[in-house]
Amino acid sequence: MSDQKDIQKINSTGFFALVIGLVALACSLYGIFSGLESEDPARGFLSWLIGLSFWLSIALGLLFITQIWYVFHARWPTIIRRQCEHFLSVFPWLFLLFIPLFVIPQMIGDPGVLWKWLDGTNLLPGGQGIVEDDPLYQWKSIYLNSNAFITRAVIYFSVFIGLSYFLRKWSFDTDITGDIENTHKARRLSSVGLFLLATASTLAAIDWFKSLDYHWFSTMYGVWFFAASMRAALSAILIYCIIVSAKGYMKGTFKQAHRYDLGCMMLAFTIFWAYISFSQYFLIYNANIPEETYWYNIREHDGYGVKNSWWAISLLLIFAHFVIPFLLLLWYKTKVVVSRLIFVSVWILAFHLIDLYWNLIPGKVIDATATHGYYIRQFSVEIFDITAIIGIGGICIWSVCRSMLKAEPIPIKDPNILKSLNHSE
Amino acid sequence: MSEEIYGMVASFKDTPSLYHAAEKVRDAGFKHWDTYSSFPIHGMPEAQGQARSKVPIFTFAGGLTGLTLGTTMVWYMNAFDYPLIVGGYPFFSPVFPFPVMYELTILLAAFGTLGGMFIMNLLPQHYNSLFNCAKFLEVSDNRLMIAIEAKDGQYDPIATKQFLESIGGFDIEEVKA
Repeated sequence: MSDQKDIQKINSTGFFALVIGLVALACSLYGIFSGLESEDPARGFLSWLIGLSFWLSIALGLLFITQIWYVFHARWPTIIRRQCEHFLSVFPWLFLLFIPLFVIPQMIGDPGVLWKWLDGTNLLPGGQGIVEDDPLYQWKSIYLNSNAFITRAVIYFSVFIGLSYFLRKWSFDTDITGDIENTHKARRLSSVGLFLLATASTLAAIDWFKSLDYHWFSTMYGVWFFAASMRAALSAILIYCIIVSAKGYMKGTFKQAHRYDLGCMMLAFTIFWAYISFSQYFLIYNANIPEETYWYNIREHDGYGVKNSWWAISLLLIFAHFVIPFLLLLWYKTKVVVSRLIFVSVWILAFHLIDLYWNLIPGKVIDATATHGYYIRQFSVEIFDITAIIGIGGICIWSVCRSMLKAEPIPIKDPNILKSLNHSE
Repeated sequence: MSEEIYGMVASFKDTPSLYHAAEKVRDAGFKHWDTYSSFPIHGMPEAQGQARSKVPIFTFAGGLTGLTLGTTMVWYMNAFDYPLIVGGYPFFSPVFPFPVMYELTILLAAFGTLGGMFIMNLLPQHYNSLFNCAKFLEVSDNRLMIAIEAKDGQYDPIATKQFLESIGGFDIEEVKA
């Protein structure tokens, strides 16, 4: 266990994060309820969803990478794996924080305020009747209905919580007993768990994010969420490792070679994210089917060819979320110099957030005064977006701090620990 | 005389002594020298004072050439030489020729890497004087060696021999060019 001073520091950080988190979450709840009276009541819920998806993507990415490391029997990241495991403690709290998104709309008697298809009597934008009479909804209703939605959400979180519970338990047990069987069990679980997790996170992305616009079709969406999650997760764990090792918690164990390899993975997933995001666009562009292209159209212009705010965000995603990090990460120095790595990690996390905005926020909002009977929700950073990100982040950081007190800073009795400590480029 | 001599080789008993000897050769200011072993030794480039490989520059140049080539090729064919409407899309746009652009980027980046590796390693090289030394052939088995070339300004048949002895070398001999 860490020494007394470390414990005190971790305790106070955790308490501070919890207080900030709860205050910010209270603000976000106020944002949801105060937004109900506005012309776009969904925006308050979307703020919450943005905050949730940001932290969920980090946690899911780390759950993926932990299992990938187990399956490939990767020895070098053993000391980093322990830091991932601390993050994996957040899933039960994220589940609790997901519940309001479903329960509050039911409470206020408007179940379809965020996910429009949850209420069959919701009007379609553009005066095309109601959701129930929409042929596309009728075809999809076997999947998109209230009961199936709740059941699936519970299953997804059982997968996330179950996998993270066992991976954490076995790894922490090894600290005390040194039993090598724990590593074998974790490896066996990971080889099955990766399939479960890939399925659950793909369907979760479809349920929670893609179904905000249930008309749309894309088979790339789950992979996009995976790629985005991995980028966010690698950036987050790098920032975390650098901060705690600077504070003395992992000092001397987290070395240049570890930074370099994490940097290489960041480069790989930067390319992968661009590949997936572009492929999705490219296929829809080539097929040119209105049922699909409208999703990109509302992210470009207002319907008359006048560019809207999402056009600039789209270009920003291409250049700032791909080209700049890609060129920076090509440089060897970027992957080893601490200040440059911190810069590129924060940069990627910031634009990951913009990517989530771009994917979740645009939508048609019914407005009788507009020409088509609707307008497209534009890019804006609301105060309640920020409170949701800080609030849910506060809870997550508190959970990480709580977990840090339960285990050694690095898995001291892991069979691969020496390989990780002696890792070199 | 000195033109017929390639340089001087010395053997070392184990990896750490080779590593520390390399550090001393580096600190003595030699420029034209190298270490030889049958397996990679972590940290040896630093011990030899080598800068990072220049091959990535060739890779980047190759990739950039490929990207430019792919873009101009599609533009020249579809928008300039024989403008053709396909599926209602513009004559040229960065979207539809993207597969061509990035495939050429990857292809020429790979060629650049391969070519850069050959250039930086001075390959192909059909003759190397070190093979005149019978003991050098054992490097591919279990011998660890340092070779200092005669073209190095500091090379001196007697002083260099003493220097190699002082840093723990044995089986020291001059190699003919």
